[in-house]
Amino acid sequence: MPEVKLVGLKKSYGKVTAVNKVNLTVENGEYVTILGPSGCGKTTLIRMIAGIIRPTEGKVYIGGKDMTSVPIEDRDIGYVFQNIALFPHLSVRDNVSYGPRAKDLDQEEQGQISKKYLEMVKLLDKMCMFPSELCGGEQQKVSLARALASGSKLLLLDEPLSALDSRVRVDLRYELRRLSKELGITTIHVTHDQEEAQSVSDRIVLMRAGTVVETGTPEELYVHPRNIFTANFIGETNLLEGWVKEVVGGTSSIELRNGGLVKVAQTNIKPGDAVVISVRPEFVFAANEGMKATITDITYMGTYWRIMASTEDDEEVSFDVTTMDGNSLTIGKELYLAINPKTAVLYPKPEDGVEEAIKLE
Amino acid sequence: MIAVISRKRFRTGWTAFIILFFLLFVILPTVYILSYAVTDWGSIDTYVLNDPEMMEMITNAIIASFEIAGIVTLIDIVVGLPMAWMLVRKDFKGKKFLDTLIDMPLAVPTAALGFSSAIFFAQTDLNVPFALNSITSPLLLIILLHVVFSYPYMVRSLSAILVQIDQTYETAGRTLGASPLAAARTITLPLFRAGLVTGIILCFSRSLSETGGTMIALATMNNVGFATGPTLIGDWKSNLVSNPDLAAPLAFVSILLIILSLILLVVIKLILMKVHLPMGRIWPRPERIFSRGLFPKAKDGLTVFFLVILVLIPSFFIFTYVATATPTSFDWGPFLDSLVYSFLIAGIVTVIDIALGVPMAVYIAKNRTGKISEVLDVLVNVPLIVPTAALGYSLGVFWTGQNLIPTWDVLLIILAHVAFTYPLVVRNVAGAVEEVDPAFEETARTLGAKPIQGFSRVLYPVIKSSILAGAIMAFTRSLGETGATQAVVADAMTAPVYIVTLIRSSDYYVAGLACIVLIIVSYVAMLALRYVTNGRRSN
Repeated sequence: MPEVKLVGLKKSYGKVTAVNKVNLTVENGEYVTILGPSGCGKTTLIRMIAGIIRPTEGKVYIGGKDMTSVPIEDRDIGYVFQNIALFPHLSVRDNVSYGPRAKDLDQEEQGQISKKYLEMVKLLDKMCMFPSELCGGEQQKVSLARALASGSKLLLLDEPLSALDSRVRVDLRYELRRLSKELGITTIHVTHDQEEAQSVSDRIVLMRAGTVVETGTPEELYVHPRNIFTANFIGETNLLEGWVKEVVGGTSSIELRNGGLVKVAQTNIKPGDAVVISVRPEFVFAANEGMKATITDITYMGTYWRIMASTEDDEEVSFDVTTMDGNSLTIGKELYLAINPKTAVLYPKPEDGVEEAIKLE
Repeated sequence: MIAVISRKRFRTGWTAFIILFFLLFVILPTVYILSYAVTDWGSIDTYVLNDPEMMEMITNAIIASFEIAGIVTLIDIVVGLPMAWMLVRKDFKGKKFLDTLIDMPLAVPTAALGFSSAIFFAQTDLNVPFALNSITSPLLLIILLHVVFSYPYMVRSLSAILVQIDQTYETAGRTLGASPLAAARTITLPLFRAGLVTGIILCFSRSLSETGGTMIALATMNNVGFATGPTLIGDWKSNLVSNPDLAAPLAFVSILLIILSLILLVVIKLILMKVHLPMGRIWPRPERIFSRGLFPKAKDGLTVFFLVILVLIPSFFIFTYVATATPTSFDWGPFLDSLVYSFLIAGIVTVIDIALGVPMAVYIAKNRTGKISEVLDVLVNVPLIVPTAALGYSLGVFWTGQNLIPTWDVLLIILAHVAFTYPLVVRNVAGAVEEVDPAFEETARTLGAKPIQGFSRVLYPVIKSSILAGAIMAFTRSLGETGATQAVVADAMTAPVYIVTLIRSSDYYVAGLACIVLIIVSYVAMLALRYVTNGRRSN
């Protein structure tokens, strides 16, 4: 059964290193997304797993077998392309039955397989159409059926939803997970969309500049990111700079730039060290005391108001207020902001500064 | 001035004039000879249909022409497809060099190519070292010759389409378990139709039309009796004065060539575009074996080998001949005169092509959806398809019979050359205009520019390089043309016709030197073309 293991995988183009010594194991039946900003090497990585790109160094194991120098067609994978890549000269049915045809199965079996998978993506009625007659979402569903119909237990999805409209994108992502779990296949899904990654994966692999930054379940990466880059890339966050004034009991007191104090329920950084606090907008509240701030901008987001405020410590802090409460706030109004100590995360201040640490490349 | 030519009435008049010129000076003369079948059926009946010997000669020549064109096209596909594939899909050292080699034969005028290939392939008593010196069948020799000059066209049109086919399709096929060979065969090849159609039509019509090189090759091997349609026209036209009875056979051959080539054009297009081949089966094991190991390498090796043996060596073998032959003294005078004459004609032809072809191209490209422009678009291809010898003869009969314009030799030759080079300029420029976003010109108009200013300040700078490219193509084609020239004026002394005369009188050494001069002149023109098109890319 297909477990995927990458050992020291590296790809260089001349002096540019696209992927730098990546080690990763994807368990059998697991749904893993490789998430990262564009240019981080995630597509190069999945293409090396598929055999489309040959690695400069390192090994690819699929189902325990060394596949590093095995050609694409012998790796037994299903691959879905970002640009969909349905064969334009073949009907939907013939597209889906291409895998069985490549194995030279008999006509009847080819027909049965394509029907089975088209039914699975609910497109049996479009069987005789040509790809150009379908809309984007349908095309990608056919392409998914085509990849599954090859009978592979390893599905590689290379930004499968990027070319689609936002609404279709959301619908299709649940479909992807459902099918993958229903068929019990191992799935590796590449995306730059953190929301997409969070909603489909068992585990997320976050990449940046050719290396893996952090791996973990969507919840781990959102609630307890071990890395300042992760905190900033996954979801939204406020990053406040300061230093540890004292550690008492289970909490640290952090003094901000102009003397404001914030409590965080984390004690692993010793007093006197410079730190960065990460706190999500939904965990910042208007209160009777705390950081004094002035509202600079209010944006209506549907279920909540996103408020931007400038604090006395020269930080820009954003926080959310449910739509019902929003009426009392206006631009220019002064208020106090408090942070829920259990939801904030502390990081030692990065040597090259915060800007450098959260930069996408 | 700008105000005057911007008026609606002037612009309508100008468009009408351009279209009228095209119809009256290009299309009508090209196919005029068809009317001979109606007006003079009697003489065709007497001199052709009731003369079995004549009938046989014509049938044989026409069959030979189509046989040659068919086989040549087939060979071009078989050896050209792997080459196009290599150039587009593979990365290897020396790829740029190979890319340049492909175009080299284009720099050699077909007259020179005919002589060069003939002394390489055919059995002659010239004793040139390294020559193959073995072919005795005129049919085979002409097939080989036509492969030499049509091969680059095939490779170019195939690779132009191959570049546009997303390689992801093939990769997708391979992720589904198809071997590289199976994926290429079942996915990329079917997507290839358009390129194949262009390539086939280009090669077929070029082969069908070729006159000068064919005549020279046949003369070099001292052939008597074998003829193709175009060489028949050339030969008979020069005997027409002494034997007026040849008018009917000449007209008959021209009509046959024109009608058959046009029918063929339509048939090829229909077959290739409409008939869907059944989806081929995939044989996993054998196709996998042929995709691996030595097979692809052997295929690439053979492809390059064919290029060298079938195309490059024959093209430039003439240098070996001239370097090793015993020099004979001769008078450069007549050849230089003919060269000047050819240049003069090619120059005037190019100027006319640009002056009247560019507006036509702009009209066609900008009125894509209109019925008139659609018809014009199809008609523009006609002179490209019709064999130039038939075109020349038809045009000669048209203008000498009309008394509308003086029938000076130069004028007739110029008109003939305009007829078959005009489409080259129109095609090139129309393609470029279509790629230009109309928003540029519309923006200029919103800023207050008149239509003519919109053209000169916005459109012209963008399509300038395509106009130049078209012009150079027209110039070199006119410079190298034999068939149309001879068919319109039998004793015209352009450079390629002069070379034919030299070889017929067995002045091989002089002919060789003349060919080399012609090669150098054309090569310089080719360099200019490269320079211009590369300039376009870097912009």
